[in-house]
Amino acid sequence: MNNFSYILAAQPDEALRDWTGPGRPAYLAGGTNLIDHIKLGVDQPQRLIDVRNLGLDQIEALPGGGLRIGATVSNTALAYDERVLKDYPVLSQAILSGASPQLRNAATTAGNLLQRTRCSYFRDGLSPCNKRQTGSGCAALGGFNRTHAVLGTSERCIATHPSDMDVAMITLDAVVRLRGVSGERTVPLQDFYVAYGEDPAKENVLKPGELITAVDLPATEWFARSYYFKARDRASYEFALASAAVALDLREGLVRDCRIALGGVATKPWRAHAAENALKGTRPTEQAFRAAANAELSSAVPRAHNGFKIELCRGTLMQALQTTAALA
Amino acid sequence: MASASDSSPPVAPVGEPRDRVDGRAKVTGRVVYAAEAPVRNAVHAVLVSSTIARGEITAMDAASVERSPGVLAVLTPKNMPKLEYVDAKFHAEKRLPLGDLRIYYAGQHIAVVVADTLERALYASTLLRVSYREEPPVLGLGDPAAKIEWPKGEMTGPLQFEKGDVDAALSGTGVVTVKQTYSTPIETHNPMEMSATVAYWENGKLTVWDSTQAVVNRQKALAAVFGLKPDQVRVLCPFVGGAFGCKGDQWPHTFLAAAAAQAVGKPVKLMLTRQQMFTGCGHRPVTEQTITLGADGQGRLVALRHESKSDDSEVGKHIEPCGAGSSAIMYATPNLAYTHRVSRTNIASATFMRAPGENPGTYALESAMDELAIALKMDPVELRLVNYADRAPHNGLPFSTSNVKECYRLGAEKFGWSRRNPEPGSMRAPDGARVGWGMATATYPAHRFPNQARIRLMLDRDGGVRAIGAAATQDLGTGAYTVFTQMTAMLVGLPFERVKFELGDSNLPPGGVSGGSATTAGVGQAMSEAAGKLRQAMLKRAQENSGSPLAGLTPDQVVFQGGRIVAANDPSRGVELSAVLKGGPAYIEGLNEANPAGADNLPAKQKAYTFQSFGAHFVEVAVDERLPIVRVKRVVSVMDVGRVINPKTAGSQVQGAVIMGMGQALLEETHYDPRTGRVVNDNLADYVVCVNPDVRSIETYFVGEPDLLFNAIGCRGVGEIGITGIAAAIANAVYHATGRRVRDLPITAEKLMRPA
Ligand SMILES: Cc1cc2nc3c(=O)[nH]c(=O)nc-3n(C[C@H](O)[C@H](O)[C@H](O)COP(=O)(O)OP(=O)(O)OC[C@H]3O[C@@H](n4cnc5c(N)ncnc54)[C@H](O)[C@@H]3O)c2cc1C
Ligand code: SF4
Repeated sequence: MNNFSYILAAQPDEALRDWTGPGRPAYLAGGTNLIDHIKLGVDQPQRLIDVRNLGLDQIEALPGGGLRIGATVSNTALAYDERVLKDYPVLSQAILSGASPQLRNAATTAGNLLQRTRCSYFRDGLSPCNKRQTGSGCAALGGFNRTHAVLGTSERCIATHPSDMDVAMITLDAVVRLRGVSGERTVPLQDFYVAYGEDPAKENVLKPGELITAVDLPATEWFARSYYFKARDRASYEFALASAAVALDLREGLVRDCRIALGGVATKPWRAHAAENALKGTRPTEQAFRAAANAELSSAVPRAHNGFKIELCRGTLMQALQTTAALA
Repeated sequence: MASASDSSPPVAPVGEPRDRVDGRAKVTGRVVYAAEAPVRNAVHAVLVSSTIARGEITAMDAASVERSPGVLAVLTPKNMPKLEYVDAKFHAEKRLPLGDLRIYYAGQHIAVVVADTLERALYASTLLRVSYREEPPVLGLGDPAAKIEWPKGEMTGPLQFEKGDVDAALSGTGVVTVKQTYSTPIETHNPMEMSATVAYWENGKLTVWDSTQAVVNRQKALAAVFGLKPDQVRVLCPFVGGAFGCKGDQWPHTFLAAAAAQAVGKPVKLMLTRQQMFTGCGHRPVTEQTITLGADGQGRLVALRHESKSDDSEVGKHIEPCGAGSSAIMYATPNLAYTHRVSRTNIASATFMRAPGENPGTYALESAMDELAIALKMDPVELRLVNYADRAPHNGLPFSTSNVKECYRLGAEKFGWSRRNPEPGSMRAPDGARVGWGMATATYPAHRFPNQARIRLMLDRDGGVRAIGAAATQDLGTGAYTVFTQMTAMLVGLPFERVKFELGDSNLPPGGVSGGSATTAGVGQAMSEAAGKLRQAMLKRAQENSGSPLAGLTPDQVVFQGGRIVAANDPSRGVELSAVLKGGPAYIEGLNEANPAGADNLPAKQKAYTFQSFGAHFVEVAVDERLPIVRVKRVVSVMDVGRVINPKTAGSQVQGAVIMGMGQALLEETHYDPRTGRVVNDNLADYVVCVNPDVRSIETYFVGEPDLLFNAIGCRGVGEIGITGIAAAIANAVYHATGRRVRDLPITAEKLMRPA
């Protein structure tokens, strides 16, 4: 039997201490992703360190403005927080567009950041998969890859990062707070993820044993003009085929500043710098939106079944930009 | 109302929109499904599946499995007890599980591991070492390596059929033709409840709790395979959490559970995983259908050809009768041909799925009819009216009743069809989305299998009279308990609250399969006959009292009414049921004769008719201009299914079928890896079906009259008809919205984005 032990840590430092010991450890939060992987045979941790009791379940106002979101705040609590609804609507919308109420009740902020791809070849525990077993190959490349990524891919892996929440957080200049045995550090969320280069198993800059303690959102007034749009086959309870998170600083009829991120189409929550640069300083017209989308998607690489995602993503982003610009 | 049978004519409470009798127990989690069977000390069986799609097992090493803690037995093709493959008609496959080393498809069961706990069985199952000699799998209808068969058709009527001269008619002058090919992918039933079996042996007798559409067929199949007499096998299935056809035939896991229980001498529980539901109990096969229509200037069909291809595994037994289920029956035409072809592939075995044949068949035919209407510049409803058939084109027999014209009329009225601008792309929603309106005809035959049923009357402790109806039939979640409770109440003239119905146990009077939408019609007929027997028994006892007011009357001359048995022509003449029962045996019962009128031995007058239900769907879709994702905004469905026993449960059947059809039209497809033949999306996150926000307004209406030529109750069944035609109605609406005709389901964004 693949037995594992279960530890309910009471302090962040205790969790960090519990990390070292015999057998492979893993932090457990809502378990909506990790437990799946254990059941599917994709992951086999021997020690589960439950982080839900570390007192990291608060959303606090930061002294200089902005919010600190504890690592174990549930997706539901975050989506319905008054301050989030008012100052960062894109975040609430992104979360509520994802999963189901039951899952969002269990899922946590940190767990959402670290959820792994839904690539079925990764999850079947059987097919060649560089992400699951380094160097074994990538079954998706020549397989059924309708839901796979078109941005940030390599010939080693084309797996989509599935999160909605993280896409919104990227547009909000979120900063991840990490704690390791050697102390605390912070990493801007957009630098937290790495595109799958040499090793598709490496998805972020988290060091072994490091704990996510919180995510900080800065106070930026114009983030109140933000919006999330998600395209998918059915109307709910499905991962994005393409999604776009947008925040616009619109003044005197010009886009002074903006944040754009894409979901469902890339190997990580995708900050769309090229689109942002194309849009900054322009008038918010359909033409400008199209140019911005084109700028970002010109580097997209289609595979056998997912080519339509490029066009779908273009439409999704334009739709998101248009709606955001029209917000009061 | 005239009665075509020997029973009392149906009166209230039939026709009342009753809540489900089991509704409260279901939503509070108190009903018992197969895997929850109250069986003590059950141990757990886990199935091991083949990871290759074609080849042969060359070696199996189970030593470490056997040594794994808690393991009680490992069954493999090497040590599987030899079972008899007999009574082929009940089997889903042409082979017994673990019968040989050949691999026919990925997901095929290759071993069973039994252990004291589920976890230990699961873990041990991962230790089995298997070596294969792999062969390249045959995948898809287009694979040139696929063996092709042209089945004749046994149950379905002829599958290769020609009447008149289709080619000659098509080349006639002034004939407008449409010839197009439509395809549907493999769709998987995915009921909520996974298939499960709990089996145990006691003194040489086998008891099986099974999630099944046919307890009696299971009983017979298990008895035959294990060399027992039917009365040595009992099959129980009080509740089913959905089936849609995947629990109709006998699938291998039930045998394996029983064999495992025999091997370990303990009760064994076996439940398919969601993944195994994609390979272990069938699916709707892939179809490709070419329809050729020829019409004269008035839109009258001069010829119709329907060429249909589907696939199945080499050990499967399923043929998807697309043309036989649609073109054979729907429109009047002097020249008609249909063919059916099966390709043998290395995909798991196919089976019936809600309206097998009729469903993909109507998708193709009703899409082509829409294309013909456009070619003729005719309104699609008008085209169908012009081609109305009052008799079945393939056999020339008149329909017992047909109210399809009324379905069109009422549907069009409720939907507002007259406001449709026929120009594609001409209609818009307030938000700018393109709006499309489409319609299609629905159709499904009336089936009735041999059934027995019994009704018992008894006295309560408080002196009140109660009735218990019973039959070894099934409630798939459709409302059968409720409908049969209503029928029993109606037949014995007692209030609903004083009646109970029992089903799902092979010890009850033998019922048929709950498939082909036949349960209500078949069991209803049996119950009506049982009520006749009950009248006879009650009358006999009543007449034992000298001076009985019923003296001299025959059973045909009395009826049950208001808690009394009375003279049919003079209800004031009669006795209280309680008075008849008092001082007598525990109960008095009526049981109809074995093997009453079934599909094969209809009385002569019924042989003169075709029994068929019809309906019509009207659909509105919205398609965003930039993101061509289709959403169904509203559906109006009008059905003629004969008598509707319970408008509430019947309406739910049509609604549920429409929702399932929306999934088929827009979402559902089982994907296979093009190299390995393994299912890629074998879970409910990746195999997308409709969820609540996909479902907007669905209005259902029933029209028509009791079909008393068909059975004593006058009902033809309602479980499947709602899913016929709906995919075509949606595809037609999508065309109307966008000017794009998608001829391969599901209609996903990429297909609407393809260059025209
Ligand atoms: C059917 C289904 C549909 C879904 N649909 C969507 C969707 O549409 N959109 C979407 O965005 N998401 C969707 N999800 C994913 C869901 O959002 C994630 O599973 C969830 O956010 C994970 O959070 P968790 O707390 O349950 O994480 P866990 O499963 O507990 O953990 C996930 C990972 O994070 C690590 N971890 C957790 N907390 C910490 C910490 N504090 N520090 C360091 N490491 C940590 C764990 O070790 C593990 O590796 C869906 C999930 C399911 C099952
Ligand atoms: S896409 Fe990535 S996760 Fe999927 S099979 Fe290839 S390597 Fe594995």
